[in-house]
Amino acid sequence: MVVSQSYEESGPIVNVDLVKQWLFWGIIWTMIFPLVGLLVSIKFNYPDWLGTTSWLTWGRLRPMHVNGVILGSFSTTFFGLVLYMIPKLTGIRMVGERMGYWALWLWNLGVVLGSYSLMAGYQKGVEVGDYAQWADVPLFIAFFILTYMVVATIIRRKEKLLYISLYYVAGAMVWTAINFPLGNLLLPYKVPGVNNAALHGLYIHYIVGLWITPAGLALIYFFLPLAAKNPLYSHKLSLVGFWSLAFFYPFVGIHHYLYSPIPNWTQTIAIVTSMMLIVPVWTVTQNFFGTMMGNWKSLQDSFVAKFCIMGAIFYLIGCFQGSTEALRGMQQLTHFTDFVIAHSHLTVFGTFVVWTMAGVYYVWPRVTGHALWSKTLATWHFWLIAISFSVMAGVLALMGLVQGTEWANSVEFVDTVVAMKPYWFIRTLSGLGMDIGIFLFMVNMFMTAREPSPFPERDREKALEGAPAD
Amino acid sequence: MQSKRIDSFIMVMAVVFMGGAVFVMGLLPWLGREHVMTVTTMDGKVVQAKPYTALEARGRQVYIREGCWYCHSQYVRPVTGEDRRWGPVSQEGEYAFDVPHMFGTRRIGPDLTREGGRVSDDWHFAHHFNPRMVVPDSIMPRFPWLYNGVDANGRPKPTDDAVALVAYLQKLGTNLGPWRKNFLYVSAGSSIPFIPGAISDGIEEGKKVYVRRCIGCHGATGDGQGPVAVFLSPKPREFKDGIFKFRSTPSGSIPTDGDLYRTITMGVRGTAMPPWHELTEEDRWFVVQYVKSFSDRFKYEMPGDLIVIPAEPTNDAASVARGKVVYEQMKCAECHGVDGKGDGPSASTLRDNWGNVILPRDFTKGGTEMKSGPAPQDLYKAFSTGLDGTPMPSYSDFLNPDQRWDLVHYVMSFGPADTYLILTKRE
Repeated sequence: MVVSQSYEESGPIVNVDLVKQWLFWGIIWTMIFPLVGLLVSIKFNYPDWLGTTSWLTWGRLRPMHVNGVILGSFSTTFFGLVLYMIPKLTGIRMVGERMGYWALWLWNLGVVLGSYSLMAGYQKGVEVGDYAQWADVPLFIAFFILTYMVVATIIRRKEKLLYISLYYVAGAMVWTAINFPLGNLLLPYKVPGVNNAALHGLYIHYIVGLWITPAGLALIYFFLPLAAKNPLYSHKLSLVGFWSLAFFYPFVGIHHYLYSPIPNWTQTIAIVTSMMLIVPVWTVTQNFFGTMMGNWKSLQDSFVAKFCIMGAIFYLIGCFQGSTEALRGMQQLTHFTDFVIAHSHLTVFGTFVVWTMAGVYYVWPRVTGHALWSKTLATWHFWLIAISFSVMAGVLALMGLVQGTEWANSVEFVDTVVAMKPYWFIRTLSGLGMDIGIFLFMVNMFMTAREPSPFPERDREKALEGAPAD
Repeated sequence: MQSKRIDSFIMVMAVVFMGGAVFVMGLLPWLGREHVMTVTTMDGKVVQAKPYTALEARGRQVYIREGCWYCHSQYVRPVTGEDRRWGPVSQEGEYAFDVPHMFGTRRIGPDLTREGGRVSDDWHFAHHFNPRMVVPDSIMPRFPWLYNGVDANGRPKPTDDAVALVAYLQKLGTNLGPWRKNFLYVSAGSSIPFIPGAISDGIEEGKKVYVRRCIGCHGATGDGQGPVAVFLSPKPREFKDGIFKFRSTPSGSIPTDGDLYRTITMGVRGTAMPPWHELTEEDRWFVVQYVKSFSDRFKYEMPGDLIVIPAEPTNDAASVARGKVVYEQMKCAECHGVDGKGDGPSASTLRDNWGNVILPRDFTKGGTEMKSGPAPQDLYKAFSTGLDGTPMPSYSDFLNPDQRWDLVHYVMSFGPADTYLILTKRE
């Protein structure tokens, strides 16, 4: 089962206008914030580029890129897709649909205010919670509205089975509703010293582990079976994935600060649980490839499937890398280097932003009612991302190992920085390739919205039967 | 599993798992233990960590605002030789007053855990104004908005924010006490007393080192007039005259290669000269050769006989009292002041050989701030050799070794005892 049976009877229940507006802004942010990353990456090779204006200095644009990609690019698109997905899975309209518009504008306001607060120098000093507190207010309100809408809709659903995507969405929203206050109210003001770092390690990894990861997994569990026109390989296995993620992920955050003065036993727990994350990663990947089995042909003509599988491959690589770099021996060499940056890009962009793109390819024609404008552009989009991003992840991981080895061999620090310059140049080029890809994606979507040729099955899909109903 | 009770079950369990983890990993170590506010110094003493002053706290806000911490980490790990590169491994108590913490996750620039006292404030002002002026290969951003106009000497004037930021940087790592006295000697290794002739060529290789590390202050022609010089006081050493302060040779003599090597390795505390212990030993020897090539003195002269430093007699009250007499007889107070604060009557009039202002040392800051080095032997050596090019003369002809040692003990009595490196018996 992927789509509610009762939906088939009740007719359209998705507020397509609301979804369209959320996705529109999601696409805009997906264009802008990676672009900020491209611009600041030039500073590694040309430090005086945009270098004499305080608003454009590296230390202010870098958090704008990081927070922007997470809260703007990924989350905005995700909310748009959720507002499409949840009615389909529950068989009812979203509870409090009208509030969705308020949430959209508050959310956008938060992202804009937050980016402004960083450029103007009001950052909190909490990585991935950098926005000034006054910019957090609209984000919080929007988030709590959305959490209410999602949870209330799930509870009142017509469909009896709680599909795995709903587990993940509900989990992600509830966890993050707790995590936001932890990182943005408690941390910057209350907890002193190494405990501040410990709690920050948890916060930072709750953003990626209890927000981005379950949110992204909710998407692919919904869109991949639809794209492959196959039922989910195993719902039971997906539950193993969910519960192992829910159990292990909350502990891992302190692996950001191994060998620091944070109590050693918490570091050890973080390492053990980081390795245990291989369990959810493996089950999830097994489920995706299992779902594709027998219908790999759908990769040929479905961009949704293409992006889902590309993301799944990066997910597998990025998560194995993440688990291994939590090991003490590995971290001696790789910590503080671009190896870690390779990991964060592999997961946040390579996996989760790519999955939101898959979702947009599926949902956008259905909510605009127009067929995809250009398959050529979509193909270019796919290959530009696939190739450029592989280069970026590869070069970042490689340079991290090189620099880490140089540090361990007592090479003078500035010499190790100079040695990184060619790699950084390639990184910038690969970022350019990615941003061109994203630009084509944006153009393609906006032209689709204006394209006269109608999409035959607007806002409609058949429920996929045959999944083990456990 | 198809019942709707699963909804509340999931959400409750999700909260329970997360809450449990936050409790075990975050709250238990925080609330379940005493907040550590003490640090064990390199001498094994347990001392209280000091909170930030108002100025340092403001500087910390600037550090956060400019995003310094995205590139500069602030903890030294006990692995991969980090304690030889940056300084001693971080301790919990050092962070007692950090809210929010500034550990950082990336080292695009150097770790700043132990930045305090590495170089003078002037170096930082020049470096923040334009890092590439100081370190040609640097990729750090410029911070021109921390400066406002220029003063009469053409030196950009730092704003209050810039002053606060530098105060914060100078505070970093100092909660560990005078750790630098040990670190300098450890990092300089066994090569400190090395005598000339180890590498007699290598000028070309030395030039490569010089243009990447030294040129900003000492200038392309070795005239001490690099673009950074305008920021600095004392001024960078001029190499053409071949006159050097820190030697193991008599007054008026050129230094040994080992003397230059030692100064390069350890840097000069209280000035903009950083320690270069991270450079390979070979590179340091090469650049010594290149620095020598600026002056003809090294072609035609040989270093004088090395100063002999006799074993240190007991540092007791009697020795200090005798030293006080010597201090008065030799009129040390004329420049260094009766209280050793470097504020004697003629202190403000002093100029070096090139007409630059040079301030007498403030002895109350103790051994870690002594330019010549943190050991009593370094003071003895300075009294014996004089600091050529400055008004500090040699006392070899006026004081016998015992008197010089008494004077060392008296000068040491001005500053905190633990800032001096007491070398245990060698050989």
